[in-house]
Amino acid sequence: MGFDLRFGWTGPIGGVTLGATRSEGGTRRVSYRIGGGSTLPFLDSNSSFSSPLIAFEICDNPVFWPPIVRNYCGDLVNNVEDWAKTADSTYGADMIRLYLTSTRQRNFSDIPAVGKAVEAVLSATSLPLIIEGSNEPKIDSEVFQRCGEVAQGERLLLGTAEANRYRSIAAAALAYNHSLIAQSPIDVNLAKQLNILLREIGVLRDHIVIDPYTGTLGYGFEYSYSAMERIRFSALKGDTDLAMPMICSPADTLTIKEVREAESAVQDEMAATWEFYTGLAAAVAGAEIICVRHPETVGKLRLAFTSMKNGTGSAQVR
Amino acid sequence: MTDVAIAAKSGEGLLKQRMASFSSSFSYDETAYHLPVSYALTGIAVHDPTTAADAYIRAGGNPIIATECLLAQSAAGKEKEPAPYTGFVGDTVLRKLGYSLVDGSILGLALLVGTPQNAGSAAGICRELQEKYMLTFLAGKVVPVLLENGIKLGLEYRLIPLGSTNAHGVHFVDIIARVAMMFGGVAPGDAGRLLTYAAERAKAIVIVFPGLSDEDIALVDAMRVLGFPIISLGSYTSDAWITVTPVDAVRRGMEAKGIRVTVTAIPIPMGCSPAFEGKSIRKEEMYVEFGGGRSPAFELLKMRGVDEIKDGQITVIGPEIDAMKEGSAHPLGIIIEVAGKSMKKDYEPVLERRIHNFVNYGEGSWHVAQRDIIWVRISKEAVAKGVKIMHIGKLLASKFRMDFPQLLDAVAVTLITDKEKVLAAKKEAEKIYDERDARIKGMRDGDVDTYYSCTLCQTFAPNHVCVITPERPALCGAISWLDGKIAYEISPAGANQPIGKGTLINAQNGEYEGVNRFVKKASHGEIDRCSLYSVMEYPMTCCGCFECIALVLPEVNGIMVVNREFKGVTPSGMTFSTLAGTIGGGAQTPGFAGISKNYILSDRFLQGEGGISRLVWMPLQLKDELKVRLVKKLSEQGRTDFFEKIADETTATTLEELGAFLDRVQHPARAMKPLV
Repeated sequence: MGFDLRFGWTGPIGGVTLGATRSEGGTRRVSYRIGGGSTLPFLDSNSSFSSPLIAFEICDNPVFWPPIVRNYCGDLVNNVEDWAKTADSTYGADMIRLYLTSTRQRNFSDIPAVGKAVEAVLSATSLPLIIEGSNEPKIDSEVFQRCGEVAQGERLLLGTAEANRYRSIAAAALAYNHSLIAQSPIDVNLAKQLNILLREIGVLRDHIVIDPYTGTLGYGFEYSYSAMERIRFSALKGDTDLAMPMICSPADTLTIKEVREAESAVQDEMAATWEFYTGLAAAVAGAEIICVRHPETVGKLRLAFTSMKNGTGSAQVR
Repeated sequence: MTDVAIAAKSGEGLLKQRMASFSSSFSYDETAYHLPVSYALTGIAVHDPTTAADAYIRAGGNPIIATECLLAQSAAGKEKEPAPYTGFVGDTVLRKLGYSLVDGSILGLALLVGTPQNAGSAAGICRELQEKYMLTFLAGKVVPVLLENGIKLGLEYRLIPLGSTNAHGVHFVDIIARVAMMFGGVAPGDAGRLLTYAAERAKAIVIVFPGLSDEDIALVDAMRVLGFPIISLGSYTSDAWITVTPVDAVRRGMEAKGIRVTVTAIPIPMGCSPAFEGKSIRKEEMYVEFGGGRSPAFELLKMRGVDEIKDGQITVIGPEIDAMKEGSAHPLGIIIEVAGKSMKKDYEPVLERRIHNFVNYGEGSWHVAQRDIIWVRISKEAVAKGVKIMHIGKLLASKFRMDFPQLLDAVAVTLITDKEKVLAAKKEAEKIYDERDARIKGMRDGDVDTYYSCTLCQTFAPNHVCVITPERPALCGAISWLDGKIAYEISPAGANQPIGKGTLINAQNGEYEGVNRFVKKASHGEIDRCSLYSVMEYPMTCCGCFECIALVLPEVNGIMVVNREFKGVTPSGMTFSTLAGTIGGGAQTPGFAGISKNYILSDRFLQGEGGISRLVWMPLQLKDELKVRLVKKLSEQGRTDFFEKIADETTATTLEELGAFLDRVQHPARAMKPLV
C-alpha cells in the first residue's frame, strides 16, 4: 500500500461492552466489545477491525412508527415479542433497539408497562439490547429507573442523553451498570461537552456511545458526516473526551418524500435502498453501530460490510 | 449546655470499652457490602468480634465504626424494630435512592437525630426539607415526636425513620458509604477516596436536636470528617457545630453544604431566552431608553457577604416605567449584588459582563456596551404586556442564579432611575472600574508562567486557538488574561484552559514550547507552532471575531492595522471584510494577524517585527480612539513625534501614496531591516 494507514494518529477509540452472557452475569447469548479502532474503518483489511453492528429498531407502540415499516412487517408490529424474535432469527440483526414509544402518549403514566415491555423483549431474544426510554422530562426519572432495574446485569445500551436531559439516563446507567447513548445535534463541540458533563456526573468513558445525529442522505447527511469525521479525527489525535464508539440511526430516511411518494411496487426497495446508503455512509464515517428499521436493509448492509472488510467486492479499498 | 469536645471524648472512651466486650458474630441482610462503613473505610468484611476489632483499630478508633459494629451486634438474632422503623436499608432500595440523587430528583440527604423540644418546629423543618427536595432520615426520639404530631413518614414522603435510638443514625453513614461504592467507584478500603467522595459529592447535612448521649455525640461529631455540616438546635457548645434557630436550620445547613435549589422559570411578563439575544429594538419600537449618551447610565456587579443581601430582592429607586413618557430617555443605574461561598472579588467584572447577555435575553429588552457607557431600551410591546423596570431586575437576578448555580447563593438587584442618585452611584462605580483596570494594567507576560487559551470560537472556526497573555488580550478584545483565569476557575472544563508556557524557544517572537504543544493539541494537530508576538512567523490563528487585522506591507517595509468599523479600501487594496474573509476560519496566515485594539497599546505589539516602529497605517477613527493612550505611551518612550508619522486614509489610500507619505515624514520603518 505504501503509506501508513494510521497517519501518525495516537489515540485508539475506547471500547464499550454491550450485552452480558451468562458467564458475565446476564442472559444474552453473545456480548459485543465495540470500539478499539486506531484508524478509520475499512482501510486495513488485515487489521482486527470488526464490521459495524447492525441493530434492528422496533417499538412498543407502532402508531409512532413509519408507515412503510408497518405495512411491510404487518401484524408483527403489534407484538413486540414476535417482532423482536423475527428481527433476531429472520432479519438477522446483531442487536435489537427497542423504542418505548408508548411513553410518547399524552399523559403517559403506566410505568410498570415499560418494565414489562423491556422484560418481554429480553425474553423474546437473547441478543444484546438498546433501549430508548421516554423523551418527556416529567417521566424520565421513573422510566429510566424502571428500564435500568428490570435489565440489571444485561449491560444495555440506554438512550438517549442530551445536553439538557441526561441525569436520569446517567443515573440508570450508573445504578444498574448499563451504557448510554449521548446525542448532540451534529456538532463536535457539543458532543464533547456532553461527554464531559456525563463524566462529571460519574459515567465512565467506557460506558458512553456517541450519537452525532444522523441526517438523511440528500437531506443534510453531509453535515452528520462532517461532524462524525471531526469527532473521529479528534479522537484519533488523542482527544479522550471524544474517543468513544458512535451509533447512527438513519430513521428519518423512511419518511422522506422520495419514499412516501414512490410507486407502491418499488416503495420498499426505495426505502431500504435509501436507508442502506445512508447507513453505509455512516459506517464509512466510522459508526460502530448502524440502526435500521426496514427489514430488507439488514441484508444489504451485511453484504456491503462483508465485501468491504474482506476486500472481495468492488468496494475494496486499496 | 454540653461541651461537644468533652462529650465526644468521653463518648469515644465508652465506645472503646464496649468494643472490647462483645462476643457473638453478626451481619446485615440484603447487602453485598458487609458492615458498609467498616468495609468502605478499611476494606475489612466485619462479621465477628475479631474482624470488628481489626476494623476499629485500622480506622483509628473511629466512633462511627464502633457504633456500626455495636448496633449490628445488638440487632443480631433479634426481630427487626417494628414499623415504621426501617432499620438497615438493603442494597436494592439503596440503588433506587442513589438513582434519585444522581438523577437530581432529590437534591441532598439530611439526618435528623435527637429529641426535639418543640414538635411544631421539628415538623416545620421536615416540611421545609421535603419542599427543598431533600431526602431525610430520622433516628431517635424525633420519630415518635413527629408521629404524634401527625407527620406521615416513609420513603414516599421522603422522611425515613431509621430506628428508635440515636445510634441508628449510623445507617445514614452506611447509606452514603454504599452510594460511594456503588455510584462513585470508591473501592472498599480506600478511605481517602471515600472521604473525598463524601465531602464533595454526597450532599449531606446533619441536624441535631437535644438529648444526645456522649456516645451519640461522638458518633455525630465524627461525621464532620465526611464533610457533613452539623447543624445544632440543642444545648451544645462547639466551634465546629453550627448553632441555629429552627427557622434557619434547613437554609443554613443547605448553604453550608452548598446544596442549591435551582430556579427554572422567571416570573416576568415577557419571554426570556437566548433566542431573543440578537433582536434589536429600533427607535420606533422603543418605549423608553436609558444611557447611550442620552442620559447617564451605568452597571456594576459587586460581591457581598451572604448575610448582607437577601436573595431575589429587587429594589427600584426612583420612578417606575408608568411614570415615564413614551419615547423618552431616563437615567439608570443597575447594581447587582451577589454572594456565594466560592464567589471571589476577581470574578466581579466577568460576571458583570453577563448583564449584557441577560438583558438581551428578554424579548422586549435590549442592551449594548458596558460599565458607564451602557445603552438599554425597553420595547413598546413589552411595556404593553406589563413589563416594568422591576422585571429587568427579576430577570437579572434569576438568570445569574440559574447560570452560576455553583458560584452564587444570593443575588439582589437595585435599579436606580432617580437622576441625582444615579449620578452619585455612578461616581462610586467609576472608582471601582479604575481599581479593576489597575489590577491587570501593571501585569507583564514575563510575570506569569501560565497563559490561557480561548477556544470559544471553535464552534465555527474548528481549529482556532487564542492564546491570551497579560499583554495580549484575546483577538476579539473581550477576554483579558484575568478573565481567562477566572473563567477557568468558574468552569474548569470550559473554553478557557491554562497553558503552561514552558521552555522559551524564541524570545523576540514570543514562542514557547508549552504554548506550541497546547496549540498543536487544541487545533487538532493542524498548527505546530505559534508565536505570540509575530505577524510574519507562525502567527496566531484567526477565528473571525478579531477587532483589527494587522498585515505586512512588504512594499513599504511596514505593517498596517485596520479595524472592523473601517469600511473603506486600505492601502493593501482590500477592505476589512475582504481581508477578514482571507484570513479567518481558524487558519494560520503568515503576514496577517487578528488582534484586539488594546494590543496595539501593548509593549509586545509587533515585537517580532521590531515593535511599534513598524506601524505605518491605521484608519483615522482607530487613531482617534487610541490617541490619548498611545501618545502618552509613546512620549514615555521619548517618541513624541511618532504618532503623527502613522498614515491614515486622509494621507494615504494606496501603496504609492503611503510610500511617499512615509518618506516625507521619515518614518522609522523605512530604515528598518527588510521584512521579507
